[in-house]
Amino acid sequence: MTPDDEARLIAAARKGDSRAYAALVDAHQQAVRGFLRRFTGHWADADDIAQEAFVTAWTKLARFEGRSSFRSWVSGIGFRIARDARRSHGRSAVRDADWLAEQDEADASAPIEDRIALTRAMADLPDEQRAAVALCLGEGFSHSEAAAILKQPLGTVKSHVTRGRERLLRALEVSDDA
Amino acid sequence: MTREARLAAALGGSAAPARDRAFALRVIEAMEQKRYPGETLRAMLRAGGIAAAAGSLAYPLLAWAGTNAEAFQNGIWGAAALIGLVGLARLMSARATVLLRR
Repeated sequence: MTPDDEARLIAAARKGDSRAYAALVDAHQQAVRGFLRRFTGHWADADDIAQEAFVTAWTKLARFEGRSSFRSWVSGIGFRIARDARRSHGRSAVRDADWLAEQDEADASAPIEDRIALTRAMADLPDEQRAAVALCLGEGFSHSEAAAILKQPLGTVKSHVTRGRERLLRALEVSDDA
Repeated sequence: MTREARLAAALGGSAAPARDRAFALRVIEAMEQKRYPGETLRAMLRAGGIAAAAGSLAYPLLAWAGTNAEAFQNGIWGAAALIGLVGLARLMSARATVLLRR
């Protein structure tokens, strides 16, 4: 979707066109849900949060200034909902690996052992670091986009990604030794 | 295979499906549920307000019309003429807009 198409859909959605908003959701759901799945580690919870984020974005659409992309804006809303939910529920960092089982084995280019080791290592990362890794290494967001989503300085995000990546690499090494 | 390549492979691809119409549909349903209760309430309040205002104006108007029938009739004719004039002006302006666009 080109920025012009996106701007046109946003303008139509602001006027109450739910079909235009459905097209926006359809175009950006993969990035938002992918990020939240990696961040929360709970597939079903992540999809519920993504849904809530898109509905919240709809209600606040008039306030969207277009300084970031639409997907970054919704991802930021989703991130804050997920983080607040974790804090209020005192949720443990235990992950589920359902999504690994549901991925088509034929399409998966990495062995299941590596993906499980990675999922566990992701669970052990601090929240902000895990979010930065999930955005930049997992879903292909740029460091600047991640900084805008997480509301952190660019240097901090870069540092989170570098450190998180080192820890994930270490986790793969440990899984080899086991 | 190096650890870097294994990490890239394990992280490769999104954790969510590229196309999922069912998800978009769920979002739209949740959105409509959230939107319509508010709109219904606003519409009811608006209609109630208009009805209350009309009722409060109708009673003194009818009481006054009973004693001033001729003035009331003149008022009706005046209002009808005004509505006709406004309608004509709107029609002319719509026609002028169409002609100017050509």
